[in-house]
Amino acid sequence: MGQIVGGIGVSHAPSLARAYDQDKGDDPEWRDIFESYKPAAEWLEALQPDALVMVYNDHVNQFFFDAYPTFALGVAETFAQADEGWGKRPLPDLRGDTKLGWHIARSLVADEFDPTICQEMVVDHGVYSILPFLMAPPWETPITPLAVNVIQHPLPTARRCFNIGAAIARAVESYDDARVVVIATGGMSHQLHGEDFGHVSPGWDNEFLDLLETNPAALCELDHLEYMRRGGAESVEIIMWLAMRGAMGTQVRNIHRAYFAPLLTGYGLVCFEPG
Amino acid sequence: MGDDTGGQMVDMTLFTGERSMAGYRLNKLSASLIDPDNRAEFLADEHAYCRRFELTAEETKLVLNRDWTGMVTAGGNVYVFLKIAATVGSNLLEVGAEMRGETLDQFMATRPPQEGSR
Repeated sequence: MGQIVGGIGVSHAPSLARAYDQDKGDDPEWRDIFESYKPAAEWLEALQPDALVMVYNDHVNQFFFDAYPTFALGVAETFAQADEGWGKRPLPDLRGDTKLGWHIARSLVADEFDPTICQEMVVDHGVYSILPFLMAPPWETPITPLAVNVIQHPLPTARRCFNIGAAIARAVESYDDARVVVIATGGMSHQLHGEDFGHVSPGWDNEFLDLLETNPAALCELDHLEYMRRGGAESVEIIMWLAMRGAMGTQVRNIHRAYFAPLLTGYGLVCFEPG
Repeated sequence: MGDDTGGQMVDMTLFTGERSMAGYRLNKLSASLIDPDNRAEFLADEHAYCRRFELTAEETKLVLNRDWTGMVTAGGNVYVFLKIAATVGSNLLEVGAEMRGETLDQFMATRPPQEGSR
């Protein structure tokens, strides 16, 4: 049977993509942030996963509001990078694993989760801004993307995100022998519109990181407005991290954790192993 | 924010289904700019591009004036109208500074933000 061998929660942000493309790793403003990803990348490589499941949100690049799915699972041989308006970055497409993808689709639906299944899906900075820091391109490890609506209310609850993560773990456990890592992305505190543009809450972000490890049930209890009050409107996307936590089982061991808030959003990172 | 939350510490506008409906044309125009051909068409004649998406006169004015705050009020979503900013060579920091009523330099002087800052 397959097993979940690791979980990563990590912020995505266009600023990370720019810093990567401009090779800012030696820049004093970025050095510590770049360094913080290295233990995660080394650990991920040592885990030798056969596949990744990436939980993220689409920023109105694949989907528009004519038909905006609450959950959308990508099942395809490849996933192209989205052009978000600035043009594409010089990075390769993602490889998919359709055998695993269809298995997850069947298992989720049998388990009473009903994602939209996408056989063509462009993937935006929700994946591409952070993946190069965690795994050097070109990416050989196949990826199954799961997009979550965290933009147009009504949004799925935090608990729903946790529960779909647990359902992904059940899907993996009923699959062939495969080592799978679940990665969930999403900015920590940030506010991108209105007079409070730029609001960040490092105190809340660190509390979230504590609770994610030791008491995710408390995070499942919070409603969207509470997340938005604590971390800013757009920070509600942090609920996606609960999908990773839900996939990890009751107990986790913290392998690596980092946090910075230099500009517009909390750049957080946690790596967990089950147990 | 919003009408129904009261007492929160951050000023925000909830992007509800109703707001998404109100801003549908504006967001549809903005989202179309993921296509390079559409970006070229937009830059060649913004008025015509707004007509193509059947924007109202008010909405057209918001686009022509890069009135990001007005776009939020009209049901625009920041992730989507950011594609207008991308098309005209602007970026998230400039858009954000405008929404705060600041210049980019003024905004950058507030970074890195202190805990609890607004």
